[in-house]
Amino acid sequence: MNNGKKRLGYAAQNVLLIVYAVFALFPLIWMLIISLKSDAQVFTTTFVFTPTLANYKEVLLRSDYTSYMIDSLIISGGAVVVSVLVGVPAAYALARYNFHRKEDLAFQILSFKFAPEILVVLPLFMIYQKLGLYDTYLGLIWVYQLISMPLLIWVVRGYFEDISVEIEYAAQVDGYTWYQIFFKMLVPLIKPGLVSAALLAFIFAWNSFTFPLILAGRDIQPITVAITKYLGTDTAHYGQLAVAATVSAVPAMIFALCIQKHLVRGLSFGAVKG
Amino acid sequence: MAGLTLKNVFKRYENSGKKKNRQQNDYAVKDLNLVCEQGEFVAFLGPSGCGKTTTLRMIAGLEDITKGEIYIGDRLVNHLHPKDRNIGLAFEDYAMYPPLDVYGNVAFNLRAKGVDKGEIDRRVREIAPLMQIDDILDKMPVKLSGGQKQRVNIARAIIREPELLLMDEPLSHLDGKARQSMRVEIKRLINKIKCTTVYVTHDQLEAMSLADKIAIINFGVLQQFGTPAEVYDDPVNEFVASFIGEPPMNILETTIIKEDGTFFFTFANSNLKIAVPGRYYGVVSDGFRCKMGVRPMDVLVGGDGSKGTPEEIATFENLGDERRIGIRVGDMLLMLITEDEKRYRSGDIIKLEVREEKTHLFDIETGNRIRELA
Amino acid sequence: MARIQLENVKKSFGRVQALNGIDIDVKDKEFFVLFGPAGAGKTTILNCIAGISLPEEGVIRFNDEIVNLVDPAHRNVAMVFENYALYPQMTVYDNMAAALRSNLYKTDEATIKEKVHAAARMMKMENLLERLPSQLSNGQKQRVAMGRALVRTPNVFLMDEPLAHLDAKLRNAMRTELKEMQANLGSTCIYVTHDFMEAMALGDRIAIINQGEIVQIGSGDEIYYMPCNEFVAQLMGDPQINIIPGRIKEEKGNCEFCFEAGGQKIAVPMPEDRELFEKIRRTGLQNADMGLRPQNVKYSFAPEKGYFRTTVYSYESIGNKSVIQADCGDYQLRMIAPNGLKIQIDQDIYVQLEVDHSMFFDQQTKEYVSRYDEASIKAFAAEQEVR
Repeated sequence: MNNGKKRLGYAAQNVLLIVYAVFALFPLIWMLIISLKSDAQVFTTTFVFTPTLANYKEVLLRSDYTSYMIDSLIISGGAVVVSVLVGVPAAYALARYNFHRKEDLAFQILSFKFAPEILVVLPLFMIYQKLGLYDTYLGLIWVYQLISMPLLIWVVRGYFEDISVEIEYAAQVDGYTWYQIFFKMLVPLIKPGLVSAALLAFIFAWNSFTFPLILAGRDIQPITVAITKYLGTDTAHYGQLAVAATVSAVPAMIFALCIQKHLVRGLSFGAVKG
Repeated sequence: MAGLTLKNVFKRYENSGKKKNRQQNDYAVKDLNLVCEQGEFVAFLGPSGCGKTTTLRMIAGLEDITKGEIYIGDRLVNHLHPKDRNIGLAFEDYAMYPPLDVYGNVAFNLRAKGVDKGEIDRRVREIAPLMQIDDILDKMPVKLSGGQKQRVNIARAIIREPELLLMDEPLSHLDGKARQSMRVEIKRLINKIKCTTVYVTHDQLEAMSLADKIAIINFGVLQQFGTPAEVYDDPVNEFVASFIGEPPMNILETTIIKEDGTFFFTFANSNLKIAVPGRYYGVVSDGFRCKMGVRPMDVLVGGDGSKGTPEEIATFENLGDERRIGIRVGDMLLMLITEDEKRYRSGDIIKLEVREEKTHLFDIETGNRIRELA
Repeated sequence: MARIQLENVKKSFGRVQALNGIDIDVKDKEFFVLFGPAGAGKTTILNCIAGISLPEEGVIRFNDEIVNLVDPAHRNVAMVFENYALYPQMTVYDNMAAALRSNLYKTDEATIKEKVHAAARMMKMENLLERLPSQLSNGQKQRVAMGRALVRTPNVFLMDEPLAHLDAKLRNAMRTELKEMQANLGSTCIYVTHDFMEAMALGDRIAIINQGEIVQIGSGDEIYYMPCNEFVAQLMGDPQINIIPGRIKEEKGNCEFCFEAGGQKIAVPMPEDRELFEKIRRTGLQNADMGLRPQNVKYSFAPEKGYFRTTVYSYESIGNKSVIQADCGDYQLRMIAPNGLKIQIDQDIYVQLEVDHSMFFDQQTKEYVSRYDEASIKAFAAEQEVR
């Protein structure tokens, strides 16, 4: 009856989506292209493109790039591991037990994410100097908790709340101890949420810039900070900068693709349950 | 004049895929024909997913009609917008406007239509006592109980004086007692306003107690359309027979044998033998296999001199008002209801009698009723 | 197998007193039903017995041993939860085997297999063993929850409204099946329900719970025929019992019951029942509520002697029979009628009360006073229990 109209509607929708996709992806594609250009071509006003791997060679083989990557990996990975170890029990407690000012506490944890990092980073800098945490792995892992922990707790709490408490009772009656119940019954059930929250926390930690910029810099240089090195005082090696950025984005992208399926569900849980 | 007419109505939901060759199976409603008389209370009854709500939504105009025609009164309404169909709707979930009080909710529709204030007030005051909401007119929706919300909901549907009232499981959120009293109220209300009503439910008890006529639907196909007594006493197939009545009709697979010129129902792994009523003699033969249906009320415990088959009781349930006895027939349980005060235990032997004239025969393959020859 | 005793058990949640001094003595191998409206505290009692909740006061005994401080795992109870509480990540088989695989009830796999299959056969769900709970219908989930309890030989089976989420038809069918299985359970069973038919059909004895207190304990027949107050009388029976407020007048040894029905003043003579009259005299009962089951109200559509006139408020089928409600002003009289009568709403109907089946309550306290044939009903109920 109104097939024509419908088809027109679909076409319009698709055009809009394509426009948006181009808009969103253009910077990434442009970065990729720059990383494959020689410095001379970067600045041309007409589009000239003869792909070369020179920038990749320069960055990956002749600089400390891999050590930056390893630093990033250690800090972000460490932060996520600590978040999981501490956050999962915390999330369980927030989901299951009733205690005084529980919701206030839960909100407090989330509120760590509200403040802009720049706001807390200066006091932290001074404290870290005094405590000798400045420019150490421990110090950075510690501060990265501000990024990863709230996210993890809120997502995993939603998953715990979604499991009916009767399942735990049933397992108790079936003769299991609390630890067995936790690891055999509950952990498998929250696994999708836990994995997606942990990976997302990892990505956020990986991309963090302000904290490592101020709180580290000499001995430890995560990749985000290290990239700025390619902006020399006199010249900017845009080609190498693009390579560094491209390569550093790869782990985050891989993880994001892995958890795509769980991401929306996991996050919306935390959001709705509040 | 007919209140509502459905002519060859089909509904198919568009598949997101383009599998045109699967069309045949995809009809949510298939070739539905139905005529409700003016002022009649009709229940659409069926299990969940049978297409009854889809049909209601098509009548209301909330859903496109794939094929066929729907008339309200004499008007073809296929292409009319819901607001122009002159219908009242009362749904399962009470979607009330939370910022308005009960009065505001009831009056909302009339205000939207620009009816003048005096007239609105007159009508609200007229309807409120009917639905027993006159004392809660100034309350906010959040303060109401489930039953009260449902009353307001129905009041809202009838205040516009619709030609056709549509209700979709309006009682399903209420608990036992509230549901029973609401059922009575709805029945009295419809009796008073004499509005043609379509009532969708999956609860056979609601349909039986409320409706003038019941349309039993399964898999999108109308199975039977008749008065409660008709569908109870004269079901067209096994589905209707087992769907209506609680406990449901006993339906047992049987082989008919002939002994000394008399036909008997016999059952695998059971010594139970029931005479076949004479009216079926034209359709049965020795060795004929079919299903026999009999209502639990029509199976009796024989007295001392009874010629019934001695059977062992498998289950005995004392329900206070009545008692239910279950007898194993092969691997089936034959239920019977008695109001006799006598208490049994499982394992007791009783003489089982069956009111043969009340038995029904069903085809073993299709489940269709096998009727005596006219 | 165990005798379960609760003595003065109290439990509160915050300011809400959920249980207020519960005393129960469940005999070994008894099927004991806890029956009451929603929120009465039935589930809390069950949780206290299972050890999931700790009572603040009172003791719980299993076979005369106090178990208050024993954790749920070591009480050896099997529980069926209202929402089934199946382990979602495990197949039906693993769900049923879970208890037998725990360190506490460790059993070898061969025995487990045998027991699971036996329970599955009993619940008629052998074809479901490989499925996940998410692939099951409610009825099937209910069977699994039941089967999970049945693989064990616990002190007591605790069942919390196992049939509540099923539709009416399936519920009744499952109730019958449960009744059939009851003999094979061979263990004490405590069953929570809010459905009086389940309570009547299944319970060897029934405890009526309301607002955290026990109102009455007795066999189904006792509670049905001699409810201890109007609340209990109204819980048992569908359609509900008629409660008719009135006065008992005594003259020259004869009693009559006077009440109002839609403005008419009616006096019905009460047939002689020596014990009943004595009880009435002794308690000085005057203002009384008469309780009369709907099947004991007779009707006619033409005037008859001993019948009084009123109008039909509603007529509706409840399945195999119908209910007529007659309008009596402040209350409605319910009576049982066959299906398919041609009755108009608000038409005249003539009603007679079979007073010799009635019971009497004190109008003030709503407590049960006495009823007709009390002695013979007591004897009848006692006889049932002996059997």
